[in-house]
Amino acid sequence: MSQFDVLFQPLNINKLTIRNRVVSTAHAEVYATDGGMTTDRYVKYYEEKAKGGCGLCICGGSSVVSIDSPQSWWSSVNLSTDRIIPHFQNLADAVHKHGGKIMIQISHMGRRSRWDGENWPNLMSPSGIREPVHRATCKTIEVEEIWRVIGDFAQAARRAKEGGLDGVELSAVHQHMIDQFWSPRVNKRTDEWGGSFEGRMKFGLEVAKAVRAEVGPDFVVGMRITGDEFHPDGLNHDDMKQIAKYYDDTGLIDYFGVVGSGCDTHNTLANVIPNMSYPPEPFLHLAAGIKEVVSVPVIHAQNIKDPNQAKRIIEAGYVDFVGMTRAHIADPHLITKIKNDQVDQIRQCVGANYCIDRQYQGLDVLCIQNAATSREYMGLPHIIEKTEGPIRNVVVVGGGPGGLEAARVAAERGHKVTLLERNDELGGQITIAAKAPQRDQIAGITRWLVMELDRLGVEVRTGVNADAQMIRDLKPDVCVMATGGRPYIDQSPAWGAEEGLVVSSWDILNGKVEPGKNVLIYDTICEFSGLSAADYLASKGSLVEIVTDDIKAGVGIGGTTFPTYYRSLYEKEVVMTSDFLLEKVYREGDNLVAVLENEYTGQHEERVVDQVVVENGIRPNEELYYALKEESRNKGQLDVEALFDIKPQPILSESGDGMILWRLGDCVSQRNTHAAMYDALRLCKDL
Amino acid sequence: MVIDWLPSILIVALLLIGVVGMLRRSSLWRAGRPEKVNIIAGLLAMPGRYFKDLHHVVERDKYMANTHVATGGGFVLSMVLVLVVHVFKVEQQIVAWALLAALLLMLVGAFFVFKRRLNPPERLSKGPWMRLPKSLIIFALTFIVLTLPAAGVLPEGTGGVALIAVLSIGVIIGLGELLFGMGWGGPMKHAFAGTLHLAFHRRPERFGGGRSTGLKPVDLEGDVLGVAKPSDFKWNQLLGFDACVQCGKCQAMCPAFAAGQPLNPKKLIQDMVVGLAGGTDANYAGSPYPGKEVGNAKGGPNEIITAGLVSQETLWSCTTCRACVEECPMMIEHVDAIVDMRRFLTMEKGETPNKGSEVLENIIATDNPNGYAPGSRTNWAADQNLAVMKDKKEVDVLFWVSDGAFDMRSQRILRAFVKLMKAADVDVAILGDEERDSGDVARRLGDDATFQSLAKRNLATLGQYKFNKIVTTDPHAYHCLRNEYADFDKDGALAGVEVLHHTTFLNQLVQSGALKLDAFKGGKVTYHDPCYLGRYNGEYEAPRDLLRSLGIEISEMERSGFRSRCCGGGGGAPITDIPGERRIADMRMEDASATGAELVAVGCQQCTAMLEGVVEPRPEVKDISEILVDQLVEEVH
Repeated sequence: MSQFDVLFQPLNINKLTIRNRVVSTAHAEVYATDGGMTTDRYVKYYEEKAKGGCGLCICGGSSVVSIDSPQSWWSSVNLSTDRIIPHFQNLADAVHKHGGKIMIQISHMGRRSRWDGENWPNLMSPSGIREPVHRATCKTIEVEEIWRVIGDFAQAARRAKEGGLDGVELSAVHQHMIDQFWSPRVNKRTDEWGGSFEGRMKFGLEVAKAVRAEVGPDFVVGMRITGDEFHPDGLNHDDMKQIAKYYDDTGLIDYFGVVGSGCDTHNTLANVIPNMSYPPEPFLHLAAGIKEVVSVPVIHAQNIKDPNQAKRIIEAGYVDFVGMTRAHIADPHLITKIKNDQVDQIRQCVGANYCIDRQYQGLDVLCIQNAATSREYMGLPHIIEKTEGPIRNVVVVGGGPGGLEAARVAAERGHKVTLLERNDELGGQITIAAKAPQRDQIAGITRWLVMELDRLGVEVRTGVNADAQMIRDLKPDVCVMATGGRPYIDQSPAWGAEEGLVVSSWDILNGKVEPGKNVLIYDTICEFSGLSAADYLASKGSLVEIVTDDIKAGVGIGGTTFPTYYRSLYEKEVVMTSDFLLEKVYREGDNLVAVLENEYTGQHEERVVDQVVVENGIRPNEELYYALKEESRNKGQLDVEALFDIKPQPILSESGDGMILWRLGDCVSQRNTHAAMYDALRLCKDL
Repeated sequence: MVIDWLPSILIVALLLIGVVGMLRRSSLWRAGRPEKVNIIAGLLAMPGRYFKDLHHVVERDKYMANTHVATGGGFVLSMVLVLVVHVFKVEQQIVAWALLAALLLMLVGAFFVFKRRLNPPERLSKGPWMRLPKSLIIFALTFIVLTLPAAGVLPEGTGGVALIAVLSIGVIIGLGELLFGMGWGGPMKHAFAGTLHLAFHRRPERFGGGRSTGLKPVDLEGDVLGVAKPSDFKWNQLLGFDACVQCGKCQAMCPAFAAGQPLNPKKLIQDMVVGLAGGTDANYAGSPYPGKEVGNAKGGPNEIITAGLVSQETLWSCTTCRACVEECPMMIEHVDAIVDMRRFLTMEKGETPNKGSEVLENIIATDNPNGYAPGSRTNWAADQNLAVMKDKKEVDVLFWVSDGAFDMRSQRILRAFVKLMKAADVDVAILGDEERDSGDVARRLGDDATFQSLAKRNLATLGQYKFNKIVTTDPHAYHCLRNEYADFDKDGALAGVEVLHHTTFLNQLVQSGALKLDAFKGGKVTYHDPCYLGRYNGEYEAPRDLLRSLGIEISEMERSGFRSRCCGGGGGAPITDIPGERRIADMRMEDASATGAELVAVGCQQCTAMLEGVVEPRPEVKDISEILVDQLVEEVH
């Protein structure tokens, strides 16, 4: 008996039985290799979800059906060739073996792509209107090309079916070719493919008909649509209900996936994959609205991360399936943990959007907090087996994400683990990051790790400023140094850190320093910390100008997250100034004067403020490491070849006395949460 | 002289009084309901049952076995020869010597009885039982002296009148205990009632190495459903109660007693004796029901049992684990009696306590105890690609899924078993949504009407299909299908079908090489015998063989095999939930922890649930199929 029973009612889509109500919806993985083939990494990534109990995986977000819809710059799946079929067979077998089902999303992206690579095509769209997010100019598609693309859809569906996949999902979402035809925003045609409602529907209808004719009545053909484009000149919710009903009435479509928002602007794009600043399931009402008018199952994803939330949505009947896609990226064993009554052990997605923000840069999707995700093929485990070797005494110094992960993995291996943390609270820089407005959920990374350490019986000592003798007294076999760093606000003596003229973003966010009235933030890093400090100060009533020497404030923040910062910062009238260096700061009476220099002209400007915050990254805390380095067995060195190959550090199988000393995370050099946790996992998984 | 005849007269007199008492006693049993018994065959089989079956149980305690052989055997032989020598006055010295030998044997036995009674274990009743060894010794010594002249050791008339007088007192004391006491309710009643109980036992299948554990069906057309009054028991059940020797071996094994719940099987049987004879329990000299004082119970053959003789919570404390029955040297059937009384409370009174009535209502409405939508029974198997009998019609193995289908923990066991069957390429199907609860819980809670309804409907479903075996992971369903459905299987739905527990079936697969398994690499493992698999069905070895096949050396608990301690989950006990001082599952987990095991292997979803309910730290609990599946060598295609 379980409170989550409602999630475990199987439901059929067409004739396909889905074992539970949880779906990993289509997302671009950026794992396809060899010209868009679903190779080893891709297969193992989905196999892990199926093994973990996921009901249905819809893979290959925006997988292309035509050679003039480019896929290479973001390693998407290529269904324009029969070469894909045997790869699909591997994928289907791997998922089916564990009782899961797998379909693929197929699309022609039309204008929402890039032309400057691969085959250098002319992008096509109904009326040749440029797309701003990709800076994509395009041609007006001709009727001959329309029919070719319709045929390509049918052939792609055939390849999916011959490859043993369980279905295809037509992408009419994210303003690809099908919904480009739907939307009066970009379809200005006056021929039979535009104009009237029927005209705008024709392309999608012909695609559906051609696909159905190719795959027969029993193969699942779904359609993913938006519930509302959120563009004044686009399709609103009523339009979308009309469209959904129109396609449902054809009987060609077996299910609808519904996503809130269009995404052909930077601001709307952020809605599509709601980050931690959004409330739970912000667009469920749109999906529920579509469910009202269609007769087939409806799937909805967007900020559904928690089993209770999923249960509530299904129980209330808003939709038939919940998409928990990022939730599965964070923990592919989510369903098994629900089944095993281990809900507390689920590593929950925090909405950091590290995954999707990498994807928009054409980088492989990775989880900020789960380094094993998509690295299954390399041998990185989601479930860590106990060691069969000696039980070691492991001391981890530093309770940030790297140290916590190292302690967790070592404890899962069955070792005796002690973790020392200088602060009273665990979490390291995550704790600071969580202080900013709308960023509190990032602390979920720490919360899970701390709960796991507790479950695993790790001895955690907080408020302990470890020194070399303390480490020696603990007689560790392995000491993992993860002491992080400290704000690097004294890089230029002219900034006046020594004299106390500038403060760090840490001091601001930690509340160690009272917010000034009139604040200048100088941000060389251009990631979360600077904008978080600005947002924090502005929310406390400060007048804030954020100045960077980079090309744009927050330029290092990904495409789904900078917009939510910008919404907040512009609303609070924060001034964002780029291309200026901070030359010096000096005191003048009660005020501070910040002297700025334009990088390109050398011109100087001054700002009279009462507080200057410098965000210039960190310097590693490496004193303790160097104090122990010489006496350690390995002189603190890692065998990087073994590390990168995900192999055990050779020293673990060599005999010898004394401690092995490893250093990871920001106490080596400043990188990020994922980097620290990845090192912790790959180092400690063979401990 | 008349005085010379005194002992002989006394012998005859006491013998006659004893016989009168026995006749009177048997009239008490005859107040019970009729039950057909083959009197002649029973009497003929009796000695065999005594020497083989009963002795097999007694022999577990070597000391008492030998003591009883000497004392009892010596007495029976002596008594016959006493009649020959001292009543019929056969004057051959050899007979007298034989009598002396028999008496000596008895004396030795009685000495050891005496010795044990010096510091008796708590389970033994005291009271009249404390004087028994002394009476036995007096009997033996008296007749030794009486017989010495006949043996020619002493001249006739030795000791004169004084000795005769003294010996006559000895005869009165000795035979008073042994003959008068036998007929009139003294400790020696056990010899007389016990002998007849063996002859007229309600479950003759138990003897000669057999096993008879299925409950007897209630005649739903009868006047009273179940047992309200002692006279509602079958006559031979009443006889069985009277055979009790109050050794307390049942008490020592009873999990509910150990948990401080208000049940002591020995006291219960003694209360039944009070009931059949009429009176109070004031003379009961054993351990009470935990938490209840002795002396307040009273009853009679026609008085409602639960209105003063036995409290309801005593009856609902039982887990039906059969540890008492297994242990009883007198072959008494405690569980039958308890369920008979529960039947009255449930079917006539509607007084099933706590969650009991809710569960029964669920079963009636939904065919499963927790009231799940019947259509969700096969949800667990949505991803298992299991064939369903409805489509398949004919199959080698029918997998009886049982109500674990609704429970996420149990589903792990089911999935593991399915994976193993697939790996071994078993031709298997399930009934899917056509399956219903086996009726186990309903029956143990006394609702035989619902049980019978479920059994009949399940049999009707099964009758539509062809299969060679039924395999189930649930020992409770296994017991019902194997031992209890036959009473209702008029159309032979299960005729010729082998009913197997999954461990038995898996063991066959492993032994035949159909399953390839790696060696187990974990720590120490112990095995918990589920009551309904072990004591109810005698399957102790298959689960152990399976563990051994993984290279596991089982760290056995002190209470294992037929002496396994119940997990507390049987007989509807978790549902009626009678409070005690401890939880049975906690005690069982302590047994497991004491072996140093890190893993408790189990073969029952109910045991799994009970043992996993014990707070950590504790060993892990896994069904054997879960342990096997982890070691399964999967073929790479």
